[in-house]
Amino acid sequence: MYISKKRIQLPVWGLLLFVFGCQDSEMRIDDTYVFHQPAHFPETTYTLENNPVTEKGFLLGKKLFNDPILSRDGSVACSNCHQQGTAFADSQQHPLSKGVEDREGIRNAPSLTNLAFLPEFFWDGGVTHLDFVPLNAIEAEFEMDETIENVIVKLNKSETYRALFKGAFDMDEVTSPYMLHALSQFMVMMISDNSRYDQYLQGEEVLSSEELAGMELFESKCESCHAGVLQSDFSYRNNGLDAMPLDSGRNRITENSQDWGKFRVPSLRNVELTSPYMHDGRFETLEEVLEHYNSGIQSYETLDPSLKSGISISDDERAKIISFLKTLTDRDFTRDPKFFIH
Amino acid sequence: MKTLKSTIALLAMAVLFISCGEETEDPQTNLGSSVAIEFDNFVGTSQVNLESEGSTSYAYNTTGGQEFNLTRVQYYVSKIILTGENGEIFEDELQVSANADEIKGYYFIHESDNASKLIELTNVPEGTYTQITFNLGIDEEGVQEGAAGGILDPANGAPFWNWNAGYIGMTIEGQTSVIDESEFAIHIGGWKDIVPEDGTTQKFYNNVKTITLNLDVNMQLSNTLEPEIHIVTDIQKILGDVDFTATPQVHSPAVGRLFADNLESAFVVDHVHQ
Repeated sequence: MYISKKRIQLPVWGLLLFVFGCQDSEMRIDDTYVFHQPAHFPETTYTLENNPVTEKGFLLGKKLFNDPILSRDGSVACSNCHQQGTAFADSQQHPLSKGVEDREGIRNAPSLTNLAFLPEFFWDGGVTHLDFVPLNAIEAEFEMDETIENVIVKLNKSETYRALFKGAFDMDEVTSPYMLHALSQFMVMMISDNSRYDQYLQGEEVLSSEELAGMELFESKCESCHAGVLQSDFSYRNNGLDAMPLDSGRNRITENSQDWGKFRVPSLRNVELTSPYMHDGRFETLEEVLEHYNSGIQSYETLDPSLKSGISISDDERAKIISFLKTLTDRDFTRDPKFFIH
Repeated sequence: MKTLKSTIALLAMAVLFISCGEETEDPQTNLGSSVAIEFDNFVGTSQVNLESEGSTSYAYNTTGGQEFNLTRVQYYVSKIILTGENGEIFEDELQVSANADEIKGYYFIHESDNASKLIELTNVPEGTYTQITFNLGIDEEGVQEGAAGGILDPANGAPFWNWNAGYIGMTIEGQTSVIDESEFAIHIGGWKDIVPEDGTTQKFYNNVKTITLNLDVNMQLSNTLEPEIHIVTDIQKILGDVDFTATPQVHSPAVGRLFADNLESAFVVDHVHQ
């Protein structure tokens, strides 16, 4: 069960522990590695029944996430392009991510946030289950350029990893589904649900009049796509970036020309931290993004009908919307020690 | 060959018998008997013999007369159902698991491994069966369980598309004399079904096909009868009117559909050993 006031309760538990010492280990309620379904979030899409989160599984996933052993030449880890400080997006210096031998990727590495609640993954939605997401990063030649077979060979050669897999899954041999399960256990815990916006939704925080005005503007101008508590309807749309989109986008998956140049409507959680923006990272600032919708829409046959004449946003409105967007920043998430690399 | 198979089956039975001896099983749950299903791959009337990569020996022809050989033939069979005319029905239990030993109801047939071509169904209720149904490929139910082990593990040779994540239901690879690069690869995958909202153009292609075959005899099952259904897969029919010069490589659901549509006619029950 999700306890929204857990941070207030922690000192009380601490006090109890202090009073009773450690004599009764059942008194300890450490929910650090327990998956919580936030009450105001959509239902979990991840198959937790096949892969429940455990402390050992999570910690093994964390080790794998930060270990360049997954890449062909030992140079690239997941965390190279997904850094906690930017809500597990890439650094701002990398509009397109860097793989082995400094190879440049084709799209901007998205923020890994609230993955347990997403129906599909990647900008084109080609993957429908979180477990299969890392396969793409491992095997793409411009990312880790490794084979999943060889990753498993390498992990099996490591006494440390064999022991960790034994501990987490009671398996004597490392196999790919358990490696993917460990990574998923780590990733489903990347829940960002304690931004000021979340606190506001739960009546625990007051937003400024500027932020509230921004929220109203957001609801009237952006929410038809950036819908719901995660700010996405998870549809695929052409938002008018190019008169002739070069990246086929969703078309690569559906093989339907009506989907050419369409990309997933991204969640805007922690959007203040995830610059640069768009599938190719072409905009560095939120001001540029909003100005694009105001004056920069390019027409192509798959352009979203709702954007045909752009979205009129004045300078004043833009400032207000951005101040609202910043309430989606969740520093508890980007500073959560359970994700730290020790 | 048959004798060898029978011996293996007997040994397997013996092992099963011995290993079960220690458990106290409710005899009620142990009712039913076994059915074996054997898949045999052919090109027209010739049995498939795999060639090595680079081989320029071409034993087969497409219906359009293009000569080719085969280096790899493999496919997934799942969701096996046996039915009879008196209401008999057996649905093979399905389970996807990260633990290879716990996978049930999914089978990976590959030409290079004879053991993989023989599926053993157990606990089939007694009765008279007239039809077998199975899926060629892994449908949404299998994919959406997430990472799986054993025959579904990409690190263990499971054919899998990362970019449009899902299993490749059928893989046919080989060489042909009609193109310079010689290699061809037909990968049939794709499991999503999306009905377009505007009712127009197809999006995605679900190439998982349900195959229903009549048995050539009424198959009797009892404690003493353990029949074997012998199914022949005709690769020539799957390739259909392929032109290797135009379509040497198939790696997407939309193109794969042209071949997936041939699957239903490519399987026949050759005979049933009673």
